[in-house]
Amino acid sequence: MSEVIVVTSGKGGVGKTTTTANIGAGLARLNKKVVLVDTDIGLRNLDVVMGLENRIIYNLVDVTEGNCRIKQALIKDRHYPNLYLLPSAQTRDKSAVTPEQMIKLADSLRQMFDYIILDCPAGIEQGFRNAIAAADRAIVVTTPEVSAIRDADRIIGLLEANGIKKIDLAVNRIRMDMVKRGEMMSVEDVLDILAVNLIGAVPDEESVVIAANHGEPVLGSDTLAGQAFLNIARRINGETVPLAELGASGSLFHRVAALLRRK
Amino acid sequence: MNIYRNNVLRTSGEIAKARAELTVASDRLGCGQEDMQQMQKEIVNILSKYMKLDNGIFSVRMNIVYEIKRGIRDVKTIQIK
Repeated sequence: MSEVIVVTSGKGGVGKTTTTANIGAGLARLNKKVVLVDTDIGLRNLDVVMGLENRIIYNLVDVTEGNCRIKQALIKDRHYPNLYLLPSAQTRDKSAVTPEQMIKLADSLRQMFDYIILDCPAGIEQGFRNAIAAADRAIVVTTPEVSAIRDADRIIGLLEANGIKKIDLAVNRIRMDMVKRGEMMSVEDVLDILAVNLIGAVPDEESVVIAANHGEPVLGSDTLAGQAFLNIARRINGETVPLAELGASGSLFHRVAALLRRK
Repeated sequence: MNIYRNNVLRTSGEIAKARAELTVASDRLGCGQEDMQQMQKEIVNILSKYMKLDNGIFSVRMNIVYEIKRGIRDVKTIQIK
């Protein structure tokens, strides 16, 4: 039974695209057939993060308008043979696709893949509505910042209002050194405010930027961020994985791990 | 959310958390932040009318509880601790 997952955040720049690319790589590593769909029409960037920007021939709008078959528009990843990208259109506008077309597209992709991951644009406009219309479950990405948390809360409300039952939170860009000094909210603090299930926490590491510079997933490298993304993929896949330490020892890890175990 | 009365927030992380809590609560209730703080002050005033409260340790913590039925938020309960 395949699953359509939307990765969303409300606020821009919190790491939706990076999270999408790495979760996709993680699920592919777990031998699942995965397709990543860039739903940000007019501002495509998932292709660049994955290093596939030179291979695009057809895009999402070509598929929905019937200019090509789905298989013609799918681009195979360079690292994982069972990971594919359906790129967005760069020159069209966000009204080029409707929620109904998105649902139809997702249903066609269900025939071919185990996981369909939709990279949602920032904001709560048409692109967001398209992406959530087709989704079975959602991963809300946030960072430990007031602005990102506020938007995440609003997004969670909108997802619930649209009947999405399974909503998980990924907290990105945690800096444990700052958390320890009390200069950053901890994962626990964020969970206190948002009160949704935590699916993973990703440390803010140089490795993420370096991997994106190369157009490669950070997953698979021997880094804490790579491990954190792989753990998220495992949890999506139904495994029980304790929360890994984010570069700091101590009580936080145990407390959050205990939180996760309570589920 | 917490209102720290006569109590200075120490770290920027704590300030961020308090601000995030207040913002999220005021968004959920559709009630402005200033109104929110005014309401809390009034609650404290009412409580202190009937009981002895030490301002130094006293804080108001409000939890907003939602129940969602068929995609519509139809219950808004405010628990005051």
